[in-house]
Amino acid sequence: MALRAAILGHLRVPVQTLTQNGRALQSWNLLNLNRSMSSHDDHLDKQEVIDRVVSVVKSFPKVDPAKVTPEVHFQNDLGLDSLDTVEIVMALEEEFKLEIPDKEADKIDSCKLAVEYIANHPMSS
Amino acid sequence: MAFTMRAVKVPPNSSSLEEARKRTFDFFRSACRSIPSVMEIYNLYDVTTAAQLRSSIASQIRQNASITNPKVIDMLLFKGMEELNNIVEHAKQRHHIIGQYVVGNEGLVQDVGTKDLRASDFLKKFYSTNYF
Repeated sequence: MALRAAILGHLRVPVQTLTQNGRALQSWNLLNLNRSMSSHDDHLDKQEVIDRVVSVVKSFPKVDPAKVTPEVHFQNDLGLDSLDTVEIVMALEEEFKLEIPDKEADKIDSCKLAVEYIANHPMSS
Repeated sequence: MAFTMRAVKVPPNSSSLEEARKRTFDFFRSACRSIPSVMEIYNLYDVTTAAQLRSSIASQIRQNASITNPKVIDMLLFKGMEELNNIVEHAKQRHHIIGQYVVGNEGLVQDVGTKDLRASDFLKKFYSTNYF
């Protein structure tokens, strides 16, 4: 007990204000109707989703980065096969920390559908 | 002890090529989803990335892309599932994973290009194969 008291007496925890969470701190204001603490409004910005999806597709080794646009179709435009498509969808799962169910994952065959699915997914981050 | 007690279940045969194809994708997805834990178990962060492991799994699946007999595909899927189970439950060691999935078929000695400037054409061919 004496040791514990001695240790606690000498411990100093640096206190920092969370400047990066300014948006979250402001939301304690009850007049703020944006409900920015609500998990339902915590969607990713659509433009950010587009940028990240395109960069994931561009970093895929078999893809020519010059051909990638936000509308590109994996098999028709990029010349990938079905296994490559699944691989890209898995890379997107990793990027956005999602787990896309198999039925939905089968339908995603273009950048456009991927962006649409991820932007509407509440858990994507 | 876990891997000796494991119940090895054999799923019923795929009825069609389409079903076998779907099972292959399901297997690929489950393999991809276990990559983070595999990297954690075998401490692969400094030798490879998740994307490289994913490509390596995909290339191994693609090696058998020409097979059209659903029963053969089922057999290969079973072997793949067994391999995946062995890897995930740590029945392998780090060098098994590195040798098979990180280094791959090219082997440890890779032709990087600068060293053999002086070697004759004959020797270069001889090192790669003696059938020429």
